[in-house]
Amino acid sequence: MRDSQDQLPNPSHSESRLFEAALDASSNGVVITDNLLPDQPIIYCNRAFEQLTGYDRDEIIGHNCRFLQSGDRDQDARSEIREAIENGKNCQVEIRNYKKNGEMIWNELMISPVTNNEGQITHFIGIQNDVSRRKAAETELAKEKEYLEERVVERTRDLELSEAYQASIIETIRESLVVLDKEMKVLSVNEHFCKFFKLKSKEIIGQVLFSIGDNGQWDIPELKDLLLKILPHNNPFEGFELENEFPRIGRKLLVLNARQVMLKGKYQERILLAIEDITERREIEQRKEDFISIASHEMKTPLTSIKGNIQLLERKAQRNNDSEYMVGFTKAAKSIERLERLIDDLLDVSKIQSGKIEFHFTDFQFDDLVTEAVSGVQAATQTHKLNITGSSNTEIAGDYGRLEQVLINLLNNAVKYSPSADEVKIHISRVSDYVKVAITDSGVGIHQRDHKRIFERFYRAEQITEKFPGVGIGLYVSSQIIKEHKGTLWVESEEGKGSVFNFTIPIKKK
Amino acid sequence: MSAKILVCDDEQEILDITQMILEDAGFEVTAVIDSLKVEKLIEEQKPDILLIDLWMPGMSGDQVIKSLRLNIKINHTPIVVISASRDGKEIALAAGADDFLEKPYDIDILIDTVKKNLSKPLSA
Repeated sequence: MRDSQDQLPNPSHSESRLFEAALDASSNGVVITDNLLPDQPIIYCNRAFEQLTGYDRDEIIGHNCRFLQSGDRDQDARSEIREAIENGKNCQVEIRNYKKNGEMIWNELMISPVTNNEGQITHFIGIQNDVSRRKAAETELAKEKEYLEERVVERTRDLELSEAYQASIIETIRESLVVLDKEMKVLSVNEHFCKFFKLKSKEIIGQVLFSIGDNGQWDIPELKDLLLKILPHNNPFEGFELENEFPRIGRKLLVLNARQVMLKGKYQERILLAIEDITERREIEQRKEDFISIASHEMKTPLTSIKGNIQLLERKAQRNNDSEYMVGFTKAAKSIERLERLIDDLLDVSKIQSGKIEFHFTDFQFDDLVTEAVSGVQAATQTHKLNITGSSNTEIAGDYGRLEQVLINLLNNAVKYSPSADEVKIHISRVSDYVKVAITDSGVGIHQRDHKRIFERFYRAEQITEKFPGVGIGLYVSSQIIKEHKGTLWVESEEGKGSVFNFTIPIKKK
Repeated sequence: MSAKILVCDDEQEILDITQMILEDAGFEVTAVIDSLKVEKLIEEQKPDILLIDLWMPGMSGDQVIKSLRLNIKINHTPIVVISASRDGKEIALAAGADDFLEKPYDIDILIDTVKKNLSKPLSA
């Protein structure tokens, strides 16, 4: 220490102590190198420098500063320092230094030359500052920034992709799509819309929907009703049927789904309109109905012949008391009856589908209808006893024949699906403004999932298809008939425990 | 003397069975497959009742009935339409038929319907 101090410029002894104390109080590391000695050794360091590097002054004094970089010699900062020293200039660099324990620190180093009276550079003073934390924060920040930039690029690409993807979905759909603003102006349409209606998108975009095309082809009262009256209260609205004559494409039957966007923001209140053309489908359905209708009619001719011949033979066998043939004729008569019912049901389905079924309403006592239907079915049933309880004592308005058909269907089902039982219960009641019938069997029952579906056309519950023959139209026809009477038909059932089929019919208002 | 019945249907098998049933029930039956010949046959044979189908080539049942009802000489003949079409009832009655029977019919009901319409007071 004394030696090194001796080499410092020549202050008085007490001043020198003061300088030393001041330097030791600094939190910056300070070193002085001798530029006149070979390899510019360090001739002074303060306490902060010791703390900064982890070396004792004994290990520092006499060394060239390069030991601080340890093996990390290939730094740009080093050449900057070298240049400054060679040219006797100030310089400020950030350089990686290594503490005695090997830990890297970022050193913000300032170097200033000290010149003597002859202009000779005698010393360099180095001021060191540990900026590792700041550097780390900077690096972290730079990384974060880089990461964020990457994410932005990625998200943008994702969005572009997703937009392109969604647009391609919309363009691929074989259904017309229109987007409207709340004033019913067309904002966009998909390609199918233009193709289908034979319109160019420039003819449409920006126009009020009802005014597009030529001759007001889109000025359709039903469409206005849907968008202006129905949609505001029923959003979204699905399955709106519309038939209209379009000049470029002719008469079309369309099904519309409309939805007003409720999300807050850019898209709020926009209206999405999907248009499906069902013209052809309806025609095919119609042809199918016609086919069923004609086929059923044609089946009746041979059936008439079979039925007549069987009944005639039965009559003759009866006259001759020929009991052997009688059994066969009775069986044949039953099959014929079943075939007749099937054909009738098929015809009914086709008529219901095309809305051509006719109902002839008259007034009658509801209990009489039930009693007559039950005794009719009882006459043909040996295996089960049909027991009626309750009564309504009420007159209703309905189609007697059709309601009888429903009852016969439900009673026959109750018998058919309870092969090991011997009773079917029928309960008549009056509930509020309705008459009600409940037909209870203790048969195979119906799984919960099928309670609604069994009333669909051609639907048959899974567990019965193998064991019981049938085509799945009886309940469909029945439910349609009850619906026509403004009543409801439903089932309560548990698999394995039997079923209760109920229907209600509103009582005639006096 | 048993009542005379004229039956017209474009299907031979329907004609055959209807004739057999009615003859078995004691009626005298003439069957005709061509609806265009019905009016002439009625004029010639003066049957007590006509049973006729609706959907037939040449002349449909309702056309035949309308024509018969305009023919003063024979317009009193009771007419029963027998058709496989349930909607046929309205068409038949509107054309001037007295009764309607749906195919496939029950033979007892066929015979009852014939008897019922034979005993009706003659329509003017």
